[in-house]
Amino acid sequence: MTTPAAELVGVSQRFGSFTAVDSIDLRIPRGRLTTLLGPSGCGKTTTLRMLAGYASPTSGRILIDGQDATRTPPEKRDLGMVFQSYALFPHLTVADNVAYGLTMRKVPAPERRRRAGEALELVGLGHLGDRRPKQLSGGQQQRVALARAIAIRPRLLLLDEPLSNLDARLRVQMRAEIRRIQSETGLTVVLVTHDQDEALEMSDEMVLMRAGKVVQTGAPRDVFPAPADRFVAEFLGYENFLTLADGREAAVRPEHLRIVPADAPLDGAADGGVVLDAVVVDVAYRGVDLLVTLDATDPAGAPVRLVADHRADHRSDHSDAATGPAPSAGDRVRLLAPRARLALLTAEPATEGLS
Amino acid sequence: MTGQTLNQGAGRSLRLRHPVAGTLAVAGYVIMIVPILFVVATAFTAGSTLRFPPEGLSLKWFGEAVAYSPFTEAVVSSLELAVLATALALVLGVPVTLAIHRGRIPGKGLLEGLFLSPLVVPELVVGLALYQQLMIGLHLDNFTTLLLGHTALLLPYAVRVTGASLALADPALEEAARGLGASPLRAFVTVTLPMLRPGLISAGLLGFVTSFNNVPLSLLLQTRDFRTLPVTMLDYVQQSYDPMVAAASTLVLAATVVVAVVAERTVGFAKIFGGINR
Repeated sequence: MTTPAAELVGVSQRFGSFTAVDSIDLRIPRGRLTTLLGPSGCGKTTTLRMLAGYASPTSGRILIDGQDATRTPPEKRDLGMVFQSYALFPHLTVADNVAYGLTMRKVPAPERRRRAGEALELVGLGHLGDRRPKQLSGGQQQRVALARAIAIRPRLLLLDEPLSNLDARLRVQMRAEIRRIQSETGLTVVLVTHDQDEALEMSDEMVLMRAGKVVQTGAPRDVFPAPADRFVAEFLGYENFLTLADGREAAVRPEHLRIVPADAPLDGAADGGVVLDAVVVDVAYRGVDLLVTLDATDPAGAPVRLVADHRADHRSDHSDAATGPAPSAGDRVRLLAPRARLALLTAEPATEGLS
Repeated sequence: MTGQTLNQGAGRSLRLRHPVAGTLAVAGYVIMIVPILFVVATAFTAGSTLRFPPEGLSLKWFGEAVAYSPFTEAVVSSLELAVLATALALVLGVPVTLAIHRGRIPGKGLLEGLFLSPLVVPELVVGLALYQQLMIGLHLDNFTTLLLGHTALLLPYAVRVTGASLALADPALEEAARGLGASPLRAFVTVTLPMLRPGLISAGLLGFVTSFNNVPLSLLLQTRDFRTLPVTMLDYVQQSYDPMVAAASTLVLAATVVVAVVAERTVGFAKIFGGINR
């Protein structure tokens, strides 16, 4: 196994009595895109800042390329950072912004110009080198910040919520753009975000954090269907929590609960999953589907309130040729959750961090 | 539409839409400018008393003012003092500003308050204290004492005005520079200092003018060997009532206008004083 691009060993950061990061261990795999994901205050940005050298850990060690860098100042780490505010130098042109890191490295002028130009080309802004940052749109400024960080050929590219200041459409575009740049350059990227969709779409590796601790790590395809605990499940959009007959807790996504008439045949649809009798409490029309709120009793005998996305047929009222009209408040129905859609959670009780 | 017509349009609409504010603004300009016009007019008199309207037209009092050695010596002294005190205030004030805005130190509010306090303490009290402690107590000469006094007087401008441009700058800028390989010193020179430039220029101009015009401190700390221009002119007015003092004032005014025009042409007032309002 190769050395990880960076490694955190038992790293903590305390501010007075507040522990922002609580003894975490983390390996950043080389040439991949790792996201630090979690709600605000979970310690993800502090972790990134310690990696960059802007904050030094209260305890623990930081290794970059296998070398101890715990006390190395930021200018000696060779990392590229993109700030949430972009932090472009307003008194320099775009080209000079991008070349700044090369100037600091005493790269001769011709090579400096060439490499800054290449970095700008990579983000599609080769023609705007003479402008000032103020003359660019938010999306363009963001690309300049990216080019500036990449131009120094950093050992790690660190992105602190880089997309949070962009409008929704641009944000989705930039996700693909950053992925493209990552695969073209082969850079190791660490991205901080609180947006689970962003993390799922962009990550090779996801690191879920809560209250200064790492709760779960893994590839999106592994983490999403199998959240480790209730916190991760809630953060990833699981809204229904049931206690099974054997006492274990399971989470189900609203789109995986099927509403069928109360007298529908079971014909093995549950295949070891959960079948519940339920009463419809509320139906909200959302265009693509109906959001149906129901009261039921879970397999352990406790009353639960559940939500289900009901998307039947292609008719705008979401009624279904096979099962009849769309559910409405007061209806007695049957809920099916297939075995494969039940995410079993660890026993850890934990929700206070999320609100 | 050019900027000028835009401004005129804005002025007109100010008067139309806010008649009270508009009238007050006009009254303010009149109150400030008319007395100055009287002084300037008096300076061109051919007569020998400080009187309006001037009796005849002549430049002779300008000649007298330029030839009067106490004035010329005092101009040099005042310039010397203003330049040195401004430079010293900036050299001391900028690190303080940096500490207040960027440092991780406790009691920032207290520190800022301390450096702004010369604005509130009556200058006569400061002058008397400096006179007792430095001149009598430590036997410093009066130039050194004046320099220290003026520097203290200008510190609030240095701290406050440069601080205003620093407060506007994103703190991540310096971090970005460090991350790109700049040592703390290079980050300061290549990023922080350019951010501070408008603040430094406005603090410098304000400081220079404040020191050059200062009377209370200079009055208390003057001696025969070192006098500033305002004090010398004040002394002169007390002894003689001829128009030479009006001519000297007009020359100072002209010099100020030249400096202002140059500043406006090179940097622009909006930029120079932009740091203060925001």
